[in-house]
Amino acid sequence: MIVDINFVGLIIASIMASAVPLILASCGELITERSGVLNLGVEGMMIIGAISGFALMTVTGSLIIAIFGAMLAGVLISTIFAFLTQTLITNHVATGLALTIFGIGISAMIGKNFVGIPGKEFPVLFEGLKDTIPLLGPILFGHSIVFYFAFALPFITSYFLKKTKIGLIVRAVGDSPESASNQGINVRLVRYACILYGGAMSGLAGAYLSMIYTPQWIENMTGGRGWIALALVVFSTWNPIKILIGAMIFGGLTIIQFHMQAIGVRIPVQFLTALPYIVTIIVLVVISRDSRKIRLSTPSSLGKSFHKDN
Amino acid sequence: MNTNLKISNVTKIYPGCVANDDVSLEFNSGKIYALLGENGAGKSTLVKILSGVVIPDEGKIYLNKNILKLNSPSDAKKNDIGMVFQHFNLFETLSVFENLIIDSDEQRENLKEKIDTIMKKYNFSVDLDVPVLNLSAGQKQKVEIIRCLIRSPKVLIMDEPTSVLTEQETSELFLSLKKFSEEGILIIYITHKLKEVMQLCDEVAVMRRGKLVSVSQINNENIESLANKMVGQDLKTIKKKKENTSSEQLIKITNLNFTSEDPFETNLVDINFSLNRGECLGIAGISGNGQSELFQVLSGEIISNKNSIEFNKNFIGDLNPQERREYLMAFSPEDRLEQAAIPQMAIFENVALNNFKSSNFFNNGLINESKIKEHSKKIISEFNVNTENIDLKSQFLSGGNLQKLIIGRELITSPDLLICFNPTWGLDVGAINYIHETLIKINEQNKSIILISTDTDELLKLSDKISVIHRGKLSKIMNAEDVTSEKLGVLMGGGN
Repeated sequence: MIVDINFVGLIIASIMASAVPLILASCGELITERSGVLNLGVEGMMIIGAISGFALMTVTGSLIIAIFGAMLAGVLISTIFAFLTQTLITNHVATGLALTIFGIGISAMIGKNFVGIPGKEFPVLFEGLKDTIPLLGPILFGHSIVFYFAFALPFITSYFLKKTKIGLIVRAVGDSPESASNQGINVRLVRYACILYGGAMSGLAGAYLSMIYTPQWIENMTGGRGWIALALVVFSTWNPIKILIGAMIFGGLTIIQFHMQAIGVRIPVQFLTALPYIVTIIVLVVISRDSRKIRLSTPSSLGKSFHKDN
Repeated sequence: MNTNLKISNVTKIYPGCVANDDVSLEFNSGKIYALLGENGAGKSTLVKILSGVVIPDEGKIYLNKNILKLNSPSDAKKNDIGMVFQHFNLFETLSVFENLIIDSDEQRENLKEKIDTIMKKYNFSVDLDVPVLNLSAGQKQKVEIIRCLIRSPKVLIMDEPTSVLTEQETSELFLSLKKFSEEGILIIYITHKLKEVMQLCDEVAVMRRGKLVSVSQINNENIESLANKMVGQDLKTIKKKKENTSSEQLIKITNLNFTSEDPFETNLVDINFSLNRGECLGIAGISGNGQSELFQVLSGEIISNKNSIEFNKNFIGDLNPQERREYLMAFSPEDRLEQAAIPQMAIFENVALNNFKSSNFFNNGLINESKIKEHSKKIISEFNVNTENIDLKSQFLSGGNLQKLIIGRELITSPDLLICFNPTWGLDVGAINYIHETLIKINEQNKSIILISTDTDELLKLSDKISVIHRGKLSKIMNAEDVTSEKLGVLMGGGN
């Protein structure tokens, strides 16, 4: 059998496309968690981003307004989380779960009027170059700007955390908010900023789903990707590059198992559907086995409320 | 340039306690000042006010006659006040270098140069690239000091700096502090250790229950006079009566080994000793030489070969702590809030954790609260724990009271052997005295003690036999009368 090499390229590109929302949401959540805040509301923020993006696109007709509007919606809903956990010192876990439930509910309510409306085509870059290089052409070219941003993001995140002053402060706050506060760092401000940034990235991830990946609104269309994003952060041991690897494996297996189901491979469907989850976790656990490195990259204060008292 | 720091009528009131009551003090550079007091006397609150962590209710601070507004730690830094906290303010997972540069706005290269100069000048050697969690306590403290020195401070405040240091590290620290003082940095040294005040400082201010009791020149004071000022009453000196102890063997350790998988732990090699009833065996050593591992092996936190520990003619090496307690062993670990008690639980709940089949704390799986509370009250009154409230969370007890509670919890069941690890670590004179008296008393009741301690004076005071642990090996067991602290010092360093 002769396999068209450009067909392989297309499959790899589709795998990468399916990894985009996971990378965006995970890298956002990673910054939030590195500052010591556990926000379990990723799924909720993502779906809010999805409906906001789609609704703004339909109403205003502007893709730019829609994309930034979706990010702003993510910021707004995460502000609720930030206010509750940082100002009112509520429990991170409970507040995050509430955020997800809230997000799913409100998106379904707003989304009622948008079901069945076709989406708009999202412009892609370097379309003309697609056929110039075999295999690599379809992988590298002809994608949306969000796609390219997502694949740059893990490297930007890694650089930000390791090399910049603000990245150092974020890690310091996650390590020991008490020490940071005694050093004159405004812990609450840093954590607010990190939560809001996480919200913006989740919003963008949601907008990618409803505007680019499958341009339409379907209720509950994030389908658990927010939870996968959360799991990726933990199993990657808070390492953005490993998030990229994890998201690719997950995306890849999701696509491949679809194809296997379509071809009619004699493996139970339930097993095939579960496969991406199982393999991603196993791989990430194996590549992150070094207990010393885990200790060094785990934010020690993760999920603990910090209350400065005088 | 001379630095003058003045504290004027500072008062800070917390709910239920006056931490600082109208305190006024004046400091001048070129001298080392001691701020002396028992735990809870208000020293820490005062220095937290100086470093901007706590804002006083009343009073003013002047630096060189200018009034200081200290509303946050960064205000103190801007005004050249540096502070090394008792509990380190470091980021464990960040590298030493990252810890040093985090609060500075200068370029990394400039800072690197500055840090190198400081390390060379004061002969500090710390690897800048390793994460802080790999450092010893002494090295961590050096990181804190360097972080202050980067800002060329006028005032350097040290809050109980030696509580985590070995004797060697302590003397290194004192040399550095004297050097800083000669260079014109005003040094305020907070402690409750009288010996250190006499060794290091020029002037001493004593605090008691939030009030300033006295300010005096060191030359006019001695250890006894300072102790009496600090405690507010005359302390009796305690001495152990040497009696003929019985010759009945209680515990025998034979060829006990422990090999750890964790590279940061110490392996124990061929531990052998035996102890008779009514005796106290002291185990000396510089911290990190296997004391914590030895304690865990003896208490059953780490299980070993069944035959390696013979207690009361039973072989118990493979039993866990709970099972060993049934054979009348009792334990007081080093870390009071992490190992001995659960900070978030009430006093009576912590008491219940040490339960026996015979204690009837639980009926058919239900908690017998009245029984436990009655038992807790008994411990509190018999062992002088300074609180009435057994519903209080144990984290709110002072170190001394918590240690009394723990020792009380262990001793009220009258065990045959008490194994304790640094029982007076970080406690004030009054509490140390009480614990020492208690330990002597149980020896007099023909019960035995294994005392693992890094405090040589304590060991010489309480032990009948002494051995030294060095890199996981025990020296031969010596009679306490034949041992001097110099001899222990040599053995602790690995000499013969």
